[in-house]
Amino acid sequence: MGGICGVCGRLRGPHDCACATAERPREGGDGPCDGARARAQGCARTKNQGGPEARARSRTGQARAGEPAPPKVAASAPALDLRTLEQRLKDTSAIGVLTKLSLKNQVDDLVGKFKTYHAGARPPTLTELRPSFDLLLMKVLSLLQDKDAALAREINASRDAIWGVLTDKQKLAEFS
Amino acid sequence: MKRLALAACLAAAVAFAADDPKQKEDLAAVIALQGKPCGEVVSYTVQGANDFVATCKDGNKYRVHVKDGRVVVEKQ
Repeated sequence: MGGICGVCGRLRGPHDCACATAERPREGGDGPCDGARARAQGCARTKNQGGPEARARSRTGQARAGEPAPPKVAASAPALDLRTLEQRLKDTSAIGVLTKLSLKNQVDDLVGKFKTYHAGARPPTLTELRPSFDLLLMKVLSLLQDKDAALAREINASRDAIWGVLTDKQKLAEFS
Repeated sequence: MKRLALAACLAAAVAFAADDPKQKEDLAAVIALQGKPCGEVVSYTVQGANDFVATCKDGNKYRVHVKDGRVVVEKQ
């Protein structure tokens, strides 16, 4: 199972994590990932959820250049995580009912803007949508961090996965 | 006298002051989410189902209600 690049949000194969650090950009890749985030999201998951071969490669830090990542597994994994997070957000007692509804309204508004973007309309551009996304995530985190810190941490760790879904037309259609 | 008592009961049923700390926090969070100044909700009255008037510490008053599935915050 792959992780998510901290910068571009692109799905990576399990073997990519080993070399995807800020200090040492991945060869043949599209730039360096944030080292801490890559370890927190991609590599940590790979160790826990990958097969024996993937785990072995993660431990040794060796990557097989040119080997394609299993696309079906990599594509479905983040969506599952996000579904779980969505359900946990619905279930948490840290946020009141009205606040949840208000947040849902704002999430729906933002998703609507992304759908407008995917329909080809400009504005909005992704550069314009990113601050709205960051602000909304900050609102969610500030509401959760005191009373449900674990969920706040997991949502924060999934920041790039969520962005990855929003910016991918097909994934967004599957998710919403 | 009976009419007066009945009127008082009806008025109390339409809008009554409540003091649930969780509800106050919920209202304060909703007002903040809409980017409106409040700080802390010190009191609120219930106007109906999902319909409140919240009084903030800074003196602002907001009607918070749900309309067509959306939470609406209106300054009073």
